[in-house]
Amino acid sequence: MQTYRLDDPSVLQKHLAGKYRVYQMATGTEGNASWQPDVDGESISGGQRPPLSSAKTLFFSEQENLFSFDGECFRETLPTPEPFAVFGVHSCDLTAIAYQDQFFADDPYYQARRKQALLVGIDCITPCENGFCPTVDAGPGVSQSCADLILHCRQDGSWWLLVCNDKGVRAITGLDLDRAEDTALQTREQAIDSCKQQFADDGYLIDGIRVLHEEKMPEKFWQDVGLQCLACSGCTILCPTCSCYGTREKLVDDNRVEVERFWDSCLYESFQREASQHNPTLEPGQRVRRFWTHKFGNEFVETFDRYGCVGCGRCEETCPGVIGVHSIMKRLSKYA
Amino acid sequence: MKNRQSISSICPYCGVGCGINLVVEDDRLASVAPQREHPISRGQLCAKGWSTAYGIETGNRITRPLIREPGGFREVSWDEAIATICDGLKLIIDEDGPDAVGIISSARATNEDNYAAQKLARAVLKTNNVDHCARICHSPTVAGLKQTLGSGAMTNSADDVFEADLILVIGADPTENHSVLGGHIMRAKLQGCKLIVIDPRRTRLAKMADLHLQLNPGTNIALINAMLDEIIRQQWHNSAFIARRCEGFEQLAGSVNGAMAAATKITGVAEQLIHKAARLYSQSPRSMLLYGMGITQYVSGTNGVIALSNLALTCGQVGRTGTGINPLRGQNNVQGACDMGCLPNVYPGYQAVDDKQVHHRFSQAWNTSLSRHAGLTSLGMTKGCIAGVFRGLIQFGEDSVVTDPDQNHVRAALQNMDLLVVAELTMTETAKLADVILPAASFAEKQGTFTNCERRVQVFHQALPPPGEAIADWQWLAAIARGMGSNQLDWPDSKAIFDEMAALTPIYSGMSYEKLEIKHGLQWPCNAENPDGSRVLHQHSFATDNGRAKLIPVHHVSIDEPADEHYPLLLTTNRLHFHYGCGSMTRKSPLLERETPAGILFINPQDATALDIEQHDGVGVCSRRGYLETRAMITDDVPPGLVSMPYHFREAPSNQLTNNAQDPVTKMPELKACAVSVTRLPEGQTPRSIDNLIIQEAGS
Repeated sequence: MQTYRLDDPSVLQKHLAGKYRVYQMATGTEGNASWQPDVDGESISGGQRPPLSSAKTLFFSEQENLFSFDGECFRETLPTPEPFAVFGVHSCDLTAIAYQDQFFADDPYYQARRKQALLVGIDCITPCENGFCPTVDAGPGVSQSCADLILHCRQDGSWWLLVCNDKGVRAITGLDLDRAEDTALQTREQAIDSCKQQFADDGYLIDGIRVLHEEKMPEKFWQDVGLQCLACSGCTILCPTCSCYGTREKLVDDNRVEVERFWDSCLYESFQREASQHNPTLEPGQRVRRFWTHKFGNEFVETFDRYGCVGCGRCEETCPGVIGVHSIMKRLSKYA
Repeated sequence: MKNRQSISSICPYCGVGCGINLVVEDDRLASVAPQREHPISRGQLCAKGWSTAYGIETGNRITRPLIREPGGFREVSWDEAIATICDGLKLIIDEDGPDAVGIISSARATNEDNYAAQKLARAVLKTNNVDHCARICHSPTVAGLKQTLGSGAMTNSADDVFEADLILVIGADPTENHSVLGGHIMRAKLQGCKLIVIDPRRTRLAKMADLHLQLNPGTNIALINAMLDEIIRQQWHNSAFIARRCEGFEQLAGSVNGAMAAATKITGVAEQLIHKAARLYSQSPRSMLLYGMGITQYVSGTNGVIALSNLALTCGQVGRTGTGINPLRGQNNVQGACDMGCLPNVYPGYQAVDDKQVHHRFSQAWNTSLSRHAGLTSLGMTKGCIAGVFRGLIQFGEDSVVTDPDQNHVRAALQNMDLLVVAELTMTETAKLADVILPAASFAEKQGTFTNCERRVQVFHQALPPPGEAIADWQWLAAIARGMGSNQLDWPDSKAIFDEMAALTPIYSGMSYEKLEIKHGLQWPCNAENPDGSRVLHQHSFATDNGRAKLIPVHHVSIDEPADEHYPLLLTTNRLHFHYGCGSMTRKSPLLERETPAGILFINPQDATALDIEQHDGVGVCSRRGYLETRAMITDDVPPGLVSMPYHFREAPSNQLTNNAQDPVTKMPELKACAVSVTRLPEGQTPRSIDNLIIQEAGS
């Protein structure tokens, strides 16, 4: 991995803006950060918290048309984005994108966007509130396999730029940068290790996952937490690895129907309800259980080589029912 | 790639007032995000809030003014629409005077829209006939708490639930209707706060509560009085607080004496449970009382509110953080619509129209003569219309055909109107009856302020251009004023309206858009004394004439229409987490629409078995006023003898059935209890929608 010195990430940002539409986290007056294109004057730092809405929406759209039918022909409506860079993505979200890349490997809509995208990761050098990426092997340092370029903020405020692959090499062509010192990668590892040490004790998370695997909790546990699930769908919307969608037909006019897909949520009772009204997950507790089994189940590890959870902690923050990941694992760990 | 922006706004649904960001891609609302720094919602939304992008989709929006003609609606220019409206208004006013016309404003419209609506009524049309849907949710709160505390609003703040030692939820289902606040209550409970729920239904919170008092519908006052009786008998009342800050205790104590002995028979709740609830509520250091329409929507609604006030005052559970009497408001701006004076008896800031000084001040400020007597309530307007004395109505952002009591009565009244003007986003059941329909901008398409249930006034920003020719409500209200020959409503922007309003409204006098932008809004009263607003009301004195709270004896009044041999079940109404009001926005979400059948009757397994009804069977429900068909949802969340229906579904509107017997003080209809009979539909017959039933009835 080639490494360069970078005094100011905005140099890279400006360079990339010549080749890509650059998306970056922008913070509004109300305090919310979100992914927006062509952002001016936003600084980037290694201690920035990931935004509440992850970058998955840039590839897997909340609502999009799949195809239309005019009475004679079906026409696919593939997106045609210009090349874009996502600048400053955290390790948790990059890990999730790598996971989504597998899930949507054969999805032309996702891939049409994904192949146009350059991913510029950023190493986290301090833990964020609710984050536990080290526990699920998703950070705080960006994995070379998940990004094209990686930014690392050094203690003195200067930066290193790591080039992960050919796409990264092409992206920085024409940018005049000094090679970093030979010890750079080693120093980076130390900084990431030191960040890992600063994360809160994850004993209850590990215990909770084990209880889940060994099914040591009583059935009543799921009834109790199911009662707390309002089916708001917030966890699945914000979860960077959730990828379920539904489809519907929309009548545009007398001659044209569009088929749209939209983000779905497995916490809705109707998610798995069959036409006969039979529902294998009728009880809210069954649905909550399924959600957590999908995030931490061993079956997922077999398919995707990792848990379905990337440790971002967004579900904890957004769950009105107090059954986000920390709350649920603390309760599960009592059965360890 | 698309343009993508994130605009700060306020959720358009309930009165909690969650912070929501609108993510706009190329002039389309692509999605929403919660605001993690928001003081109430803290990064959370409910299913309705998350589905906001669907709610204002332009697909079925009204985009041009429409005028009714024999063959249907015709698209017209704004000029023609306004001219038609003004000709109609002038004719009626010439013939029958200004009190033959009126305005029903919207608890979902902005403060600025509502201020404009009442000013149009008062300063231009010269009538106090202005009202809105608070009439059918919390008018008893305004009337009741005004008498006892001097101010009809939530006394405390939403996040006070985390400061309380005990939360008493009565006649409210916050996890479904105010879900983010309901979630906070769950969180508080999990953190060790005690929880008591008083409700005829076994709500989600009731299932988690330390105590659930499952009383018979309409027996709130009997139960509260029994608690008071027990509290006073056990000397659990707060004598020091009563002596220092209240009056009327002796009369109250006398009036509740013996209430405990009578309570079980009336309420169906065991004495021991009432005793426990009385002790917990009175003896916890900080007890917070939250209530909803299970208190107000009875013929005894105002007295029910007074009873709660008596309970809180007697125990000294008012005026401190983590306590208080807290009505949960249903619409994002129902508090604001009340504050703005969209009520027939008060100007903005609850200043009485029949008070000479107030009258003088508004006449001066608006430089015009004003009516000196209170106007008609919304139900007064429908009644007046049937009687032929009320003839012209302007209504916006409210589908009263689906949401007001006694649908057939409402429909008949609106059809009888000489001029019905409706401004709406979509073709609602009410809009279908209009003479003129105006295309309204949604909350995402305009700037303004909303006031949430904890009195927090929040600014929100325009994210999208309105579709077609739609405009903000205050803009078409101003156009009508101009058509009537007045420039009273000629403001350059919403900020100018806010400034005019704040100068005339003492509780808002310290507010401006600039100040509201900081820290997610300000809570009223915000004035020279409280420049940073007020988290807790009544800390040192009450807003009454002498600063003391009034304890007022109230007595149990039976519901107007108990079950009998012809109509053996009692029907109550409830709301679902997934839908809002008439469903005109939430039912556009494919997810929320999929979640429940289009119409539900909750029924206890015992009753279902007795009627040979199985899960999801089609059922017919009949009351003295109407008949509808829907599907059975069998659940022991309702007790035997009680069935319950949500009112979100136009196909099976519960107001075909509900009773319009009214609270004598506020004319609040008794929506929470009426007698019905239920029958299973024949095998294979799917429930018919109300439209089909009406057509079939007309044809037979």
